[in-house]
Amino acid sequence: MNEKLLMETVSLAGKIMLASGSEVYRVEETMKYMLLKSNYPVAEALVLATGLFVTLDDPNRETITITRRVPARSTNVNRICEVNEISRDFCSNQITVEEAYDKLLKIEKESIYSKRWKFLGIVGVSAFFAPIFGGTTMDVIGAGLVGVILALADCLVKKIKLNDFFTNAFCSFVVAVAATVIKKFFLPECSSDVMIISAIMSLVPGVAFTTSIRDTLNGDYSSGSARMLEAIVVALAVAAGVGLGLVSWDAFWRWIA
Amino acid sequence: MINQVVSSILAVYFFTMLLEIPKRYAIYASLVGGVNWWVYLVALEGLESSMMAAFFASLAVAILSQIFARVQKTPVTVFLVAGILPTVPGAAIYRCVYYFIHNDSAQCTYYLLQTIQIAGAIAMAIFITDSLFRMLQHYQNRKASIG
Repeated sequence: MNEKLLMETVSLAGKIMLASGSEVYRVEETMKYMLLKSNYPVAEALVLATGLFVTLDDPNRETITITRRVPARSTNVNRICEVNEISRDFCSNQITVEEAYDKLLKIEKESIYSKRWKFLGIVGVSAFFAPIFGGTTMDVIGAGLVGVILALADCLVKKIKLNDFFTNAFCSFVVAVAATVIKKFFLPECSSDVMIISAIMSLVPGVAFTTSIRDTLNGDYSSGSARMLEAIVVALAVAAGVGLGLVSWDAFWRWIA
Repeated sequence: MINQVVSSILAVYFFTMLLEIPKRYAIYASLVGGVNWWVYLVALEGLESSMMAAFFASLAVAILSQIFARVQKTPVTVFLVAGILPTVPGAAIYRCVYYFIHNDSAQCTYYLLQTIQIAGAIAMAIFITDSLFRMLQHYQNRKASIG
């Protein structure tokens, strides 16, 4: 077996899973299973929230180590499924290491929902979370409208490639202003609080926070705390954006009136 | 209540597009989300504690996800990530930081505690179910290898 390619394949599989928001123990488990295919006596995979290390060790041969940095994480369940399938096929000898590597390269950039579906997703999430926060039918309509504006802002931000913090802050700024304007001029019976909260549901890091606690319970303390900090930073960006939006609209309105 | 459950199913369905959950699993994932919110509402009425309600709701989600994952032969994450969305403390996290910025320490602490309680309850429920199913599988494997 080509050990070097096996290492490349294993680290790529781990990198994709980690960047797609999988739990750390699941990434390590998948990598370890794939490493069993080598004939080295010691095979280790260490995964942290921001990167991973793989080592194949043998006293009689040269040690192979690969390090991969994973700078950005977002949830992409499809990629986790695909990697899982490839690793299962590989471990049961149905595909060779070359085929596995090619397949992994292909799914690394794959996206199954187009931009239009994503747009619809943001609008739908925004609209239908409103009743969960105690909103009425009017709130659903209002939150849907805010969702449309949020989706537009999201498209704009992706074009100019802002960093994560400012993407979230800008989007929530837009949400806060849009919700206030809609309440003031179009749908006065809506609650702007409900509209804002249901619109930011697609930005807010609830799942990341829960995953961080799950990592911690599994004994992956460094990844758990790193993910928790990440979630707090995202929440900070969102709250700062909303806060700034509300304050600046207030100032603007007073300046006009 | 029925309105809320239906809207949570729809909300999770739209969320599957953002989480890139494969289309063939999207309906199941949204159903899990609906079950989550339904159990949450029922438990909240009976227990009057949002932490315990979140715990039982996530327990239902975790068990259902494990079953769906075994039937569909796919990772549990597919149904789990989408299913816990309605109870996940997204709004509480936001409110906590919002009041932190506004220097309202009483509200900030209240929502901070709520965030940690609910996220902890969800994580605990998933962790317990995960360990239980692992044990079950281990036992089955051992029985198969002996018999």
